Amino acid sequence: MEKRNTEKNTLPLTALKQGEAGTVASISGGHGKGGGFEKRLMDMGLTPGTTVTVVKSAPFHGPLEILVRGSRLALGRGMAERIFVEKEK
Amino acid sequence: MTENKLLIALAGNANVGKSVIFNHLTGLHQHIGNWPGKTVERAEGTLHFKGYTIDIVDLPGIYSLSTYSLEELVSRKYIAVERPDVVINVVDASVLERNLFFTLQLMELETPMVIALNQMDIAKSKGIQVDIKKLEQLLGVPVMPTVAVKGVGIAKLLEKAIETVEKGLVKKHAHVRYGEEVEEKIGALIEKMKNAQFVYPPRYVAIKLLEGDEEIEREIQRIDPQIVFTAKKLAAKIECIHGHCCSTVITSERYEAAGCIARAAQKLVSPMKPSKVERLHNFTTHKVTGYLMLVFSLLLIFYFIFTFGDYTSGFLSDLLYGLEPFFASAFGTGLVGNLIWGGVMEGLIAGITIVLPYIIPFYIILYFLENSGYLSRIAFLMDNVMHKIGLHGKAFIPMMLGFGCNVPACLGCRIMETQRERLLAAFVTTLVPCAATTVIILGLVGDFLGIHWALALYLFNLVIIFVLGRLAFRVVPGEPTALIMEMHDYRWPHTKTILKQTWFRVAEFIKIAFPLIIVGSLVLKLAEVSGVLETVAAVLSPVTVVWLGLPAITGITLIFGVLRKELSLVMLAALLGTTNFALVLTPVQMIVFTLVAMFYIPCIATIAALVRDFGWKKSLFITVFEIAFAILLGGVALRLLTLAM
Repeated sequence: MEKRNTEKNTLPLTALKQGEAGTVASISGGHGKGGGFEKRLMDMGLTPGTTVTVVKSAPFHGPLEILVRGSRLALGRGMAERIFVEKEK
Repeated sequence: MTENKLLIALAGNANVGKSVIFNHLTGLHQHIGNWPGKTVERAEGTLHFKGYTIDIVDLPGIYSLSTYSLEELVSRKYIAVERPDVVINVVDASVLERNLFFTLQLMELETPMVIALNQMDIAKSKGIQVDIKKLEQLLGVPVMPTVAVKGVGIAKLLEKAIETVEKGLVKKHAHVRYGEEVEEKIGALIEKMKNAQFVYPPRYVAIKLLEGDEEIEREIQRIDPQIVFTAKKLAAKIECIHGHCCSTVITSERYEAAGCIARAAQKLVSPMKPSKVERLHNFTTHKVTGYLMLVFSLLLIFYFIFTFGDYTSGFLSDLLYGLEPFFASAFGTGLVGNLIWGGVMEGLIAGITIVLPYIIPFYIILYFLENSGYLSRIAFLMDNVMHKIGLHGKAFIPMMLGFGCNVPACLGCRIMETQRERLLAAFVTTLVPCAATTVIILGLVGDFLGIHWALALYLFNLVIIFVLGRLAFRVVPGEPTALIMEMHDYRWPHTKTILKQTWFRVAEFIKIAFPLIIVGSLVLKLAEVSGVLETVAAVLSPVTVVWLGLPAITGITLIFGVLRKELSLVMLAALLGTTNFALVLTPVQMIVFTLVAMFYIPCIATIAALVRDFGWKKSLFITVFEIAFAILLGGVALRLLTLAM
């Protein structure tokens, strides 16, 4: 899996194990005009600096269940791969 | 008279109980339509209260006022242009931070508003206490606690809304204060715009321009391109300072503000119950028990609907066909009588015997699943599978509906975010074998060749859905959108709301389907009595007899199937004069006939539903494609099966 190193060590959200948390560092736009979904993620509360907890992931590379700002979201895996987080200790 | 009229809009996130409040307020005086020219639903209702005639508009459930979806655009345009006297912002007390993010955006539109702090009971059971006075003070907006499913606080909410209008408590609410750099730029832009006139408040325009909102940019560009140019320059400066794009910075800061208010106004105590809903959530989304539960629920639902539907449908049909002698004596058995009974009445009976027994229970169950929260778990579990055909988990829901009836299923494709996905989902849905198709599969192949053949056909159907879905996904241009969906806590839904939603759907179905079914059946009856049908059978015989190897008469019955798929089997029995199909059809012919009937065309009511949401061109394309595909498939199957059997 592609890992992007900006200033700090960040990993895609999908690299977190169940129950682990991280803070959002950046969201990569991906190919094409990805602006729409980036804004959508922000509107759902995934702004830089927010703590995200991975609750579980559906089997066979299914979507992730995450907790963010006190609510529970289902997030398609393709999208979760583009969210980069700093793992919390 | 105008002074006694009020316009109230309901706005808020999805699944916060907005429609429950709407139902409490408006009772039966409501109707659901579309926003002009949009496939976005618009629910409106009227009520009389304290001498006022109040129109209430239920805006779609959204998370933001940006341009991500049609729903968001429609909502903010409505608030800014139609200027409702007051907006009731329904807020979920159990997810305060996310909901306040939306509230803050509404406040930026500087509309008079009242907050309905709903689901206080759920918040309480999650151990969240909200200090209402504090929240009011922080927001500068009146806050009324409600438990909509129990009707608690609704009357007071309405009183407060009216009071807000009467006292003119407008534009007094606090603004979100963004960071210093951002505020500075907003100030500069407002200064630059002070001579211009917009429908939106200047501060809102300034913020949206900095966020790079395309729609607002376009509007302002027309008035003064210089402003947009300045905004872009200022936004670039912010990006320079923060290292994120300006829209990200603003969204973050707005969320920070929402978080601060939420934290200041709520107190977390330990939850009363170690959350049953939490355990239920874990059970129903677990990688083993979740799927078992899903299969079990689906089987149970289908079993219930088919048993109930079958019984009721038979009962109703016996009852209604019992009227035949009366019609015969009233209109005679001549041409007119024949047309009235065989055309109009049989069409009507056909409609009634689908709607009441199959569609009504289907909708009740669907809305129960949706309002309770289970539907979003199903979408979560099925996301992966649906991705294989380029759609996300939510598309499983209309597909599931399709097993009952394709018509509501096609209309249900509106839950997808983009027009492209709506079309793809609708296409896939028309391939799903509906209740009527099931009648053919079970009644012909199941009864005469054994249930394993029927199941094999079902399985084959799923394979075809998969293959064609994938193909369509490749062919239709555009990017797939991924799943982003809130899974709210499980809750017991409000019965009256479910019944009302069901009623509106059924009414919609009747409006679309009934005229077509009745006219169609009249036309066919006319063709039958005028002897055109034999000619049609002869014309079609190169396809039916030569290519598909079926009796020529099936050409006629398949045409009847366009009205209602199981009619193709019923007519076959009528025209052949026997229900023992084994005497007249070989096993291979049965399979070929069933295959063709499964795929050959969406029924006339489904076509109507497609036209309504996608226009004639696309609907015609889907229809023609499916006819060609079914004929091709039938012929190939004939040749392969003859070799094999």
